Amino acid sequence: MPAGNLKDVAAVCGVGHTAYGRKMNRSQIDLAGEAIRNALDDAGLGRDDLDGLVVSFGTPIGADADTLAYALGLKLRAYNQTWAHGRFTASSIQWAAMMVSAGLANVVACMASISFSGFRKPMMGGSGDAEGAREAGGGHGEDPVFGMTSPGAGAALVARKYFDRFGATSEQLAAVAVAFRKHASMNPNAVMQTPISVEDHQNSRFVCEPLHLLDYCLINDGAACVLVTTQERARDMAKRPVCISGMQGLPAGREEFIWTYPGFGTSQQTAFDYVPGPQPVYGMADVSPKDLDALFTYDAFSILAWTALERFGFCGQGEAAAFTQDGRIELSGELPMNTNGGLMSEGHIMGWNHQVEIVRQLRGECGERQIPNAQLIQWANAYGDSLIYRAG
Amino acid sequence: MAEYTKPLPAISTLNQPYWDGLKQRQMVLPYCEACDKVWYPPAPFCPDCWSRDFRWQAVSGRGVVNSWVVFHQAYFSSFKDDIPYAVAEVELEEGPRLLTNLVEVANEDIAVGMPVEVVFDDVTDEVTLAKFRPRKG
Repeated sequence: MPAGNLKDVAAVCGVGHTAYGRKMNRSQIDLAGEAIRNALDDAGLGRDDLDGLVVSFGTPIGADADTLAYALGLKLRAYNQTWAHGRFTASSIQWAAMMVSAGLANVVACMASISFSGFRKPMMGGSGDAEGAREAGGGHGEDPVFGMTSPGAGAALVARKYFDRFGATSEQLAAVAVAFRKHASMNPNAVMQTPISVEDHQNSRFVCEPLHLLDYCLINDGAACVLVTTQERARDMAKRPVCISGMQGLPAGREEFIWTYPGFGTSQQTAFDYVPGPQPVYGMADVSPKDLDALFTYDAFSILAWTALERFGFCGQGEAAAFTQDGRIELSGELPMNTNGGLMSEGHIMGWNHQVEIVRQLRGECGERQIPNAQLIQWANAYGDSLIYRAG
Repeated sequence: MAEYTKPLPAISTLNQPYWDGLKQRQMVLPYCEACDKVWYPPAPFCPDCWSRDFRWQAVSGRGVVNSWVVFHQAYFSSFKDDIPYAVAEVELEEGPRLLTNLVEVANEDIAVGMPVEVVFDDVTDEVTLAKFRPRKG
């Protein structure tokens, strides 16, 4: 056990969000303010109880942490912010867990406000994406010189390689989109609630081939917030605590490519047969993958569900295509995934909407889409970071 | 020659030799004298063994398609007339992988593992891009 083991030390005491929708044309500060107030209401807390903030996605798509403190009149002792990528959800929660454990803050709001309709020049690809044109390339394999742009193009590169290396097909990938939409059909706050079929997926246009439109997440507006405090404090608040039992950081280096696991052979990764070693998140939480009631993952693109499953050893390398068939990842299946509908069907709130859903599942608040007696849920991503939440 | 409107590379003090090489119709990459590896993108020391003992060395310009995609959406207006256009990730014989466009091949004929070789495309007076075309394996 590492010194200062934080298993179950921190807990989520409140969650809040706005309506999610396309082209809401609402101010980013307005969206964020509503999500924060809803989370505080959920926890039975007031403005003066909130003294920490971690924002995972600010300018240009969402409101920045310093803006929120100033405009909303927050009284923060500590705050932090990542730069504008969706990959930092777990990192933000991990920072918050460390902040409350170290006494830097008592209650930390972790969140993003998202307003894709709030700015004119798209930054997810094309000339508005300054980061894609940086020296040594963009974070998802962008190289605009050759027209290689947008996060989805890097995922398409992984999908093609996956299909070729493991003999999988786009029809098999459709199962991910179909499952998440089925979940969204039971979620009144989901942006897309109409069920889809494999045929609908196959008939949807290509954006970056081999990925179809229905392999992509939504582009929408909204905000979601998760309040982190110590488990000890959470016990005195309005709702049953959801403990943060396990944590695993976000890895980086030449053997990593954002949308897949080491050994896959994309970008400068060495190509080899991947066998997942011990994942620290399970050791810290003292559980095994078999104990989980559900798995949530950052599904900006359908293929990320496959690479996440293989990375964490839910199935062997190249087996996720078969693993995700026949309803296995649906609500009634062996391993329900993204019961909110995910980024692909509930909405793209940078994974914060998934954290809200995980907490509600563990509190038994999900109505029609409730997993019976859910006790243990993991957030685990293709890019290797993770959290394990436990009903307190 | 019509004005070139597509994005141009971010040329820096670090990667200048790569772009100078292409302009002279030669692909050069950093080669580590200490561990015998060629790498990309350029870095101030070998990313494998951290030796500063490296030089720019000509590479074969030969490789295979490691993966590839086809853009059906025009994110850049300057690429609009090229839709649907392919972007390939080429793995050089020396190991590094480069993103590129393929020439002299139809999108439907591209395949993972397809052998390719570099061709030099002078897109402006200052910039030459490395593109790739099929070769006999």
